[in-house]
Amino acid sequence: MADRRRINGPPGGTRPPVFASLQESSTGVANRAQRQRQPTELRKIFLKTGLIPTASGSSYLEFEPSASLAAARSNPKSLIPPSSALKLACTVHGPKPLPRSAAFSPNLVLTTHVKYAPFAARKRKGHIRDASERDLGVHLETALRGAIIAERWPKSGLDITLTIIEAEDDRWWGDAPDSHDASWGMMNVLAGCITAASAAIADAHIDCLDLVSGGVAALVSDDSSQSASSAPRLMLDIDPAEHRSILSACVVAYMPARDEITELWLKGDSSRAALDKNDGRTGHEALIDGAVDAARGANTVLAEAVRESIARSFA
Amino acid sequence: MASLPPIAIPGQRLGPLSTYSAGPGTHVQQSFIYASIAGPVVADPAQPKSQTRPTLRVSRVISSKDQASSNPAVPAVMSKPRYNTLPAVDSIVLARVTRVQKRQATVSILVVVDESATQSQDQSRTASDNDNVASILTSAANPENHSSTDELRFQALIRKEDVRAVEKDRVVMDEMFRVGDIVRGSVISLGDQSFYYITTARNDLGVVMARSDAGNMMFPVSWKEMRDPVTGTGEQRKVARPF
Repeated sequence: MADRRRINGPPGGTRPPVFASLQESSTGVANRAQRQRQPTELRKIFLKTGLIPTASGSSYLEFEPSASLAAARSNPKSLIPPSSALKLACTVHGPKPLPRSAAFSPNLVLTTHVKYAPFAARKRKGHIRDASERDLGVHLETALRGAIIAERWPKSGLDITLTIIEAEDDRWWGDAPDSHDASWGMMNVLAGCITAASAAIADAHIDCLDLVSGGVAALVSDDSSQSASSAPRLMLDIDPAEHRSILSACVVAYMPARDEITELWLKGDSSRAALDKNDGRTGHEALIDGAVDAARGANTVLAEAVRESIARSFA
Repeated sequence: MASLPPIAIPGQRLGPLSTYSAGPGTHVQQSFIYASIAGPVVADPAQPKSQTRPTLRVSRVISSKDQASSNPAVPAVMSKPRYNTLPAVDSIVLARVTRVQKRQATVSILVVVDESATQSQDQSRTASDNDNVASILTSAANPENHSSTDELRFQALIRKEDVRAVEKDRVVMDEMFRVGDIVRGSVISLGDQSFYYITTARNDLGVVMARSDAGNMMFPVSWKEMRDPVTGTGEQRKVARPF
């Protein structure tokens, strides 16, 4: 759908040209972001609630930027930032009356909106929500619907709006699109959205079964040798810019107190995972378990943020 | 009896169903009580006649009683009042009349009066969500603020037969309510898709604040009349008994 109300930039985006020769000679492989963390080590998460006073609940979430960003800042070789880290804000409005046209509902009616800021990704996003944003909204709604006790709020609606201020990259910016290409960054964005929305819902005092948090795990093959022996390995909380090739990834929304998954999104080929010989799991089982572990890690941050939110409102 | 955490977060296990019964802000799963909102945990002692176990609830607001027990040295500091209680059957609401028709009056609900706050002895410093009732009402009674925020409030109807308990068939809606009046009512039904149903058929329910034709705040003189202090003219209303 074309946006007729605003004066838009050129549709293809306006990135400065980067020549391959420039990358090879000065910046090249050395400048490529490398994962410094252990395979099971998560990035640090900043999460704070109650930053938007007009909303009934709100939260702000930020992932720790990768080490390559700090290195590039201290010793800049290129104007283009080497990696990006997720930053997003979530607002919850409601419970509020349903619009007059809506039918009677004995439950809370949940609506979720996910919107990228125009500058959030390397490729500019339009003002109208595109297919991927609507897709994220549907995934998020599924994740939250399983956690909210909807029958406690009859005849009312809850609007959850997420603004992505900085999105994750889908691959390293210097790489040409290849066969393994998919929107891997979206999966990290979804995990962040779930965690942030859960904090904002708790901040708004909406009844929930549990704090639901998002986690990502992926099968990546990093070896530059590209030998056949290098089977893909399982990594938690991937930054897609740090990996050469991501074979498959999985997002879960997980409630640790009940050990339940409310949302599962698995993408790619998980058949070639390098697991231990005595590990009886299949690739996708390992992937889901990894994502659940990542979600458990995010939940500790989430629980702490919610405790802070109570301490602030009841102090 | 296991010790209760002072503050709970959603999904936190609070206690077994054999020791407690579940109150507001909690849910039950596999015979354990879990918190469903974040807040201080309160165990209301068992009432000897009605129930055998203490009720466990997670409070949305900190009441003066809870505050005193937790840290008596620190005086109650009012947090920013935040209000998200839904109208339920039998809850007392304050609403503004937006439209008066022959058979019904349309009102928009401004605030759901917190029952627990009104019951406690310490009226002056009950910290409830509705701390800013005064400010809500004065701004709502102001004619300039009408209709701008009505879409965000819950709408309700007072039907002609729900206005008063006696002589129901002689009710004339124009002599009961005027647009802009603030009415205290009791919710009788969640109603249909768009409206709650409210009754004022009790002595303590009815118009609590009203402006006269001249635009002055009126004071009640009887159960069916309010008077303008400046011009001295009386107007008819279904007046709520003042406290």
